[in-house]
Amino acid sequence: MATGRTLWERIFWSWRPESSREAGDAIVRNFLLHWFPAKVLRESLSFRYSLWLGTIAAVLFVLLTGTGVILMFLYVPSVERAYASVKDIEYVVSFGWFVRSLHRIAAHAMVAVVFLHMMRVFLTGAYKNGVAADQNRPLNWIIGILLLLATLLLSFTGYLLPWDQLAYWAITVGTSIATAAPWIGDDIRFVLLGGHEIAQNALLRFYVLHCFVLPTAVLLLFSWHMWRVRKDGGLACADRLAREHRREWTTPIRSKTYSLLGIARGRTVHVEVAAIHEEEQMVPASPVLVRRLFLVALGTIVATSLLALMIRAPLEEPANPSVTPNPAKAPWYFLWLQELVALTTVRIGTYTLNGAFVGGVLIPGLLILWSAIWPYLDRSSTASVGVWFPTERRRQNLVFLLIVAGILVLIVTGTLRGPYWEFYWPWEPWPEIPRRF
Amino acid sequence: MRKAKSLHPSASPSERSVANSLEAEAGSAPTRRLFLKRMGLGAVLIGLFGHVLAWVRSLFPNVLYEEPRRIKIGRPEDFAEGGTFLEERRLFVFRERNTFYAISATCTHLGCTVKMIHLPQPKRVQIGGRVREERYEFHCPCHGSKYYGDGTNYAGPAPRPLVWYKLEVAPEDGQLVVNLDEIVGQDFRLTV
Amino acid sequence: MDRQRDAMWIYSLGAVLFLLMGGAYWREWRPEWKLYQAEFRQLVAQRFGPDRAARVPEGIQQIWVPSLGRVDRCVTCHLGIEWKGLENAPHPYRAHPPEILQKHPIARFGCTICHGGQGYATDVRSAHATRIEHWEEPLLGTELGKTYLLSDRKALLQINCNICHRYDRETAGAELINYAKQLVREKGCRACHRINGRGGVIGPDLTYVGDKSPEQYDYSRIGGVKSVFAWHIAHFKNPKAMVAETVMPNFNFGSREAQALAMLVMSWKRTTLPVEYLPGEPWADRPTPEEVEREQRMLTGEGAFFVKKGCFVCHEVSSLGIESAAKIGPDLANAYVDVQSRFGKTLEDFLRSPTGTMAVVLATQIPLTEEEKREAIEKLKLAYQRKLEREASPK
Repeated sequence: MATGRTLWERIFWSWRPESSREAGDAIVRNFLLHWFPAKVLRESLSFRYSLWLGTIAAVLFVLLTGTGVILMFLYVPSVERAYASVKDIEYVVSFGWFVRSLHRIAAHAMVAVVFLHMMRVFLTGAYKNGVAADQNRPLNWIIGILLLLATLLLSFTGYLLPWDQLAYWAITVGTSIATAAPWIGDDIRFVLLGGHEIAQNALLRFYVLHCFVLPTAVLLLFSWHMWRVRKDGGLACADRLAREHRREWTTPIRSKTYSLLGIARGRTVHVEVAAIHEEEQMVPASPVLVRRLFLVALGTIVATSLLALMIRAPLEEPANPSVTPNPAKAPWYFLWLQELVALTTVRIGTYTLNGAFVGGVLIPGLLILWSAIWPYLDRSSTASVGVWFPTERRRQNLVFLLIVAGILVLIVTGTLRGPYWEFYWPWEPWPEIPRRF
Repeated sequence: MRKAKSLHPSASPSERSVANSLEAEAGSAPTRRLFLKRMGLGAVLIGLFGHVLAWVRSLFPNVLYEEPRRIKIGRPEDFAEGGTFLEERRLFVFRERNTFYAISATCTHLGCTVKMIHLPQPKRVQIGGRVREERYEFHCPCHGSKYYGDGTNYAGPAPRPLVWYKLEVAPEDGQLVVNLDEIVGQDFRLTV
Repeated sequence: MDRQRDAMWIYSLGAVLFLLMGGAYWREWRPEWKLYQAEFRQLVAQRFGPDRAARVPEGIQQIWVPSLGRVDRCVTCHLGIEWKGLENAPHPYRAHPPEILQKHPIARFGCTICHGGQGYATDVRSAHATRIEHWEEPLLGTELGKTYLLSDRKALLQINCNICHRYDRETAGAELINYAKQLVREKGCRACHRINGRGGVIGPDLTYVGDKSPEQYDYSRIGGVKSVFAWHIAHFKNPKAMVAETVMPNFNFGSREAQALAMLVMSWKRTTLPVEYLPGEPWADRPTPEEVEREQRMLTGEGAFFVKKGCFVCHEVSSLGIESAAKIGPDLANAYVDVQSRFGKTLEDFLRSPTGTMAVVLATQIPLTEEEKREAIEKLKLAYQRKLEREASPK
């Protein structure tokens, strides 16, 4: 190797490998980098293809973990002290307002970004298997759905912790909807709350779920998710590229094997990446992928910090079980469910349709189930894998977008509901809320 | 100025040309580009470091939910000549005309509250080479530790003399303030 | 290309992050209260000199009252509360009237329990909480008083007096509340309403009406501010105007009466008061009137010394009329001669070097100065003399 290296180069040699061999070495010998393949398809790094949404979600998760750990030193999960501890974070802890604001912005952003990522994966047909052997993208899609549910639950459990009116009543609405599940609904609520009321048991359970159980689940699922991406041959655009460059196509050919050092043979993980033959389409993961990853992470931090400076996290009156705020709303990502529940509570003659069941259990349950099994029902060809809005999948994409649009409309409608669940256009003022003085 | 990095073998022709032009430019206006690059990198590092610093700073509390360490104990004129025992504060406050000093009533053995014993007759004692005449002492009822009137331990299991705390005058109303965070020597006197 | 673009993006984002963090640090290091503290230090330096100014505390100050579950940070800016000499300083540095602080020391009460406001807050707007969102305990001060056109702008404060002084017939300093209580007695409110646990059932139970949520009132007939306080004032002035189907008679209350009653009614809340905060006599064993009278009598007689110094706790001095509840030690009427036979020394020697129980008592509980020892000997001599006189003239 080169002998005229500076100190920097000798410490961070893996950042800028000087040969292909060194590039492979760098990945394997560096703990932080071993996650990546030695070389990456340049196409996968395109912003336009994936929008890097998955990465943004992961960076947000890291941000949430960092700010979350800080908050764990400052917050007290006891019904007598929770509210006061959050007030202290806002007023007397140095940068407490900033850490809390970051945490909240990142939380809402993560829910949105994870959902957008799911949308991107669907619209590009990246849940479908491509041309390589032994791919199982539908499984990864299901792992993704589990990650989405975990994200929603993380946000929901965190919502209760400030123990103010907003928290208490949002969770009241949420757990009441859960009771509509047939046969086990009440039991679900009982176990979730550790009782019949939202009190100390509920707070502690939600705290443990929020700080330990769900983050661990996310870490495990995320690791599996990334592992599956590697095993499936990278992002779905790799399959598109492989098809474009193949002139004739018969059966999938085992063209590359992975083992710990990437040079062994035999029956082990193998991936068909036709582009392995086209060196000019590959770039070394370090520095190209690492640099772009740093860029996306920095951008996420900048955006989150900006929003955290502009929007302060709210803290309403202390939780009061005997005073219901009017209106009492679920957090925005569940608002569409609350709206559905309100809409589907219909009385026909003497028969009352149980809106909580229809809107709270049936419809979301069906949606989750349908999205989970869709990859197995999808009959489009491998030509549509890793392609934005392919003609073949036009109808599927349209239906998907319509459902998403419906959800968005319901969320917006729910946001515009005022006291007594009356609808107010954005320009119509809500009635003045009376006060004591 | 560092040697330009050699491009890896798969660098595209366009990359090579940019690198070449960079090298060429390097000779003509190296400082500006490098300066901006360094500023950019510095901004990134400072920005990220600033974040982490803010997070860590938040873990150093600014207010404490504890008993205050500086406590007002009353106006100087309200203290009688001699010793006054403040039970809740576990403190003896001594007044000699207009000088004051405070001795902790916490025994240095295991923390019981010592009692002030008024001696029927003045006693001559020698402490560290100096002779004093004292009219009172401190005895601990728990394990028999005994201290002279200035807090020096002379009998029993007590390992150290009684602690002397700093007395101050509060700026707002002139009350005496005992500062439990500051320990002073036995020659401390506050003159009011 | 990629590399250049990525690098440019990283540097620009870095610059933006730098600016944003600058903004965060600026907001953190220049809070409102620092300006108030600096101003206060200047004021003190001007009036009292630089070294008193140097001792003004820095940083967020708070008063934590665990028994009331409150923490008040008002003193971060209101630094002059206990300063002698700042009675005429401009707000927020003005000293607090000292008389009421004698009975309600700040360390035991904090500030917000009387004045209202948000104790957690460290900026003016959130702390005074006059019509901010999400805090229903505003500062009961002149600003609100002005809004409600009270003749005494500071009177709203009295509402919070009544939280503890609820069962007092009259509370010094709470004139409007006292007036309202008088009205309640004179106008017969209890005929229809339960108040403080007793009364009629025709009208609603008012015992905890101060806790009623603002949303449970009907504001359709109020002009102006829609608040519970305004509702009560309007209701007291003309009940039928606010509740069409009411049977509550119109008492023709004027503004002052209606405001006083509204204040009283707002103060009727559920509160848990620790026992040491209950007004009135402190919770302690109280001597009976006979015991008090007896002690008074003994204090004015010849044997007053033995009462003042506490000897009578264990010893009676029968010849001087001093009685002891415990009678642990012997009758001191004989002491003048008895000491010799009991302890083998004279009384003077005994007081100078006591033995037995008296050694412990004179060392810890009843220290006697030289002068007091002389007086003790005098009195004991007198006691013995009186004893002899009594024996000499039997009746």
